[in-house]
Amino acid sequence: MNNDNNLKNSPLQRRKFLKVVGMTVAGGSILAVAGVLSTKTGTKEAGHLWQIDPAKCTQCGRCETDCVLSVSAVKCFHANKVCGYCDLCGGYYRSNVKDLNTAAENLMCPTGAIQRKFVEDPYFEYAIDEDLCNGCGKCVKGCTSFGNGSLYLQIQRDLCKDCNECAIAKVCPSDAITLVPLDQAYNLKG
Amino acid sequence: MKRLFSILSSLLLMSGIGAQNRFPKPDFESGYQYPDIQHALPNEQLWLYVDIFMLVALMSFVAWAILKKRTRKPIIWVSVISVAYFGFFRSGCVCSIGSVQNVSLALVGHTYILPVSVLLFFILPILFAFLFGRVFCAGVCPFGAIQELVNIKNYRLSRSVTSVLSIIPWVYLIFAVLYAVTRSSFIICRFDPFIGFFRLGGDFGLILFGALLLLASVFTGRPFCRFICPYAPLLSLFSRVAIWKVQITKQKCINCELCHNACPVDAIRPPYENKVKEQRLQGVKRLLMYFVVLPFMMVALAFIMRYASDDLSRAHKEVRLYDMVQKQEADPQDKITLELESFFGQGGKISELKQKVNVIQQDYKRYSTIAGALMGLVIGLMLIKLSIKRSRKEYEIEHADCVDCGKCFSYCPQNSICKSVLLK
Repeated sequence: MNNDNNLKNSPLQRRKFLKVVGMTVAGGSILAVAGVLSTKTGTKEAGHLWQIDPAKCTQCGRCETDCVLSVSAVKCFHANKVCGYCDLCGGYYRSNVKDLNTAAENLMCPTGAIQRKFVEDPYFEYAIDEDLCNGCGKCVKGCTSFGNGSLYLQIQRDLCKDCNECAIAKVCPSDAITLVPLDQAYNLKG
Repeated sequence: MKRLFSILSSLLLMSGIGAQNRFPKPDFESGYQYPDIQHALPNEQLWLYVDIFMLVALMSFVAWAILKKRTRKPIIWVSVISVAYFGFFRSGCVCSIGSVQNVSLALVGHTYILPVSVLLFFILPILFAFLFGRVFCAGVCPFGAIQELVNIKNYRLSRSVTSVLSIIPWVYLIFAVLYAVTRSSFIICRFDPFIGFFRLGGDFGLILFGALLLLASVFTGRPFCRFICPYAPLLSLFSRVAIWKVQITKQKCINCELCHNACPVDAIRPPYENKVKEQRLQGVKRLLMYFVVLPFMMVALAFIMRYASDDLSRAHKEVRLYDMVQKQEADPQDKITLELESFFGQGGKISELKQKVNVIQQDYKRYSTIAGALMGLVIGLMLIKLSIKRSRKEYEIEHADCVDCGKCFSYCPQNSICKSVLLK
């Protein structure tokens, strides 16, 4: 009699039991994973901003093409205190120009983002118009090769989408893009 | 001119690459001051707190609407807010779907530090799924929301097609974790079909894929959520055993089929009478047999994946670089790729690279074996699940598949009776 009753109830009982087991396992695993993970977190030292290390950068030009934004978040920065203020600037003029004038075919920057201002003989001040800059790094290559290296590439922090995985870092040939902590948001020169 | 440049370049050769101060700091006589350049500040970290707050608030709101009010209207608003805020305003990063990769990397990697916001984005939707079902999917996830908002008609796909396709999320999840723990790539982020819309630009192929998915979701509910999303399998595991489960109505079901037709994700199972009469003991024996076969399937897939691990490891940058270096060594070319240029330019040593690659390939061997076994387990369990037939007397929600969109509530005639009685 008793046995019969048990059999009748068994599917429901079994389902209830399974439900309790499932709930315990699920709740337990959430707690366990959260517990383990909370030991791996850190607020201050956690790097979650992508930034370029200018010392490693080889100006390959992929920053311009591989950013997820249609105009790259990578911009050229200029350290005035490192700059030599040369008239013949390796970042401003292309190499082997015939006439040293500011005609577009003579200029390194494809978008005309480098502004040049006469200071005093023989010095010229250079500044980057970041709205025009597309991060191609041509001027940086010129300046690093022929000048003081005062032009360098950095990720403009307010434009960067802070992707979980930086698309440029993925293709950077010299691994120059890494995650940095918030208080080192820029690797500034000078 | 040319001479000047050649002098400069010879200077460069002498001084070596990266040298600074080839030109001395100028002595200004005109009293020139260095300009003070202000660089844009990092995006406010405050937004991360707003993100978390929005996530919790929207999920709680959906849970309230689903469990307490049984109405869909608030969920439409949640969807609109989510697409606007998480989608367009925050550009879809960090999202819970992608956080799976960070979390798995943090679980195995000793050096990786997990940002707290990512941890919360990972664990909160799962916690809510365990409490109330997949309220995150309902409209808080911008990807689900955007598909839900364009959905007009629900053409039902046949059960066999959906069963086969529902394996994809698991396989995708396993591969995403495999590539994340080996530090190769975050494939969920890379092949995200909707991010292009939210950022108004991106890879053409992916935007096209996203557009096709959106087009498909006009005619059938949420193709991305059901057949691609790698986070959905995790959520459905927990919503299966949720503590407070969604009910279509508190009244008795009258088997009218209206909710079944309304469900966009085909999560409502119709009444079904099992025609195959099988003795209970026989059924248990059959199941036990399946579970004996299951390990073989796992071992087989584990072997296949282990065999393929060297090919899989090409997803890692260093492995690809090593391949390139070897090719270059065997057959030196004048024109070399940028990777090789910077490798040789930085004075990289091939033996060191080889060591690194060996470690990576060892990792790949280990993890892809595990991944293969997991894939075998998932596919095996899926097959076993298909073989179990359970009789149902009325329409029942399959809580693992239900995304809590709330479309069924207004279709249920019992619900409207309940409401009209209340109104009187």
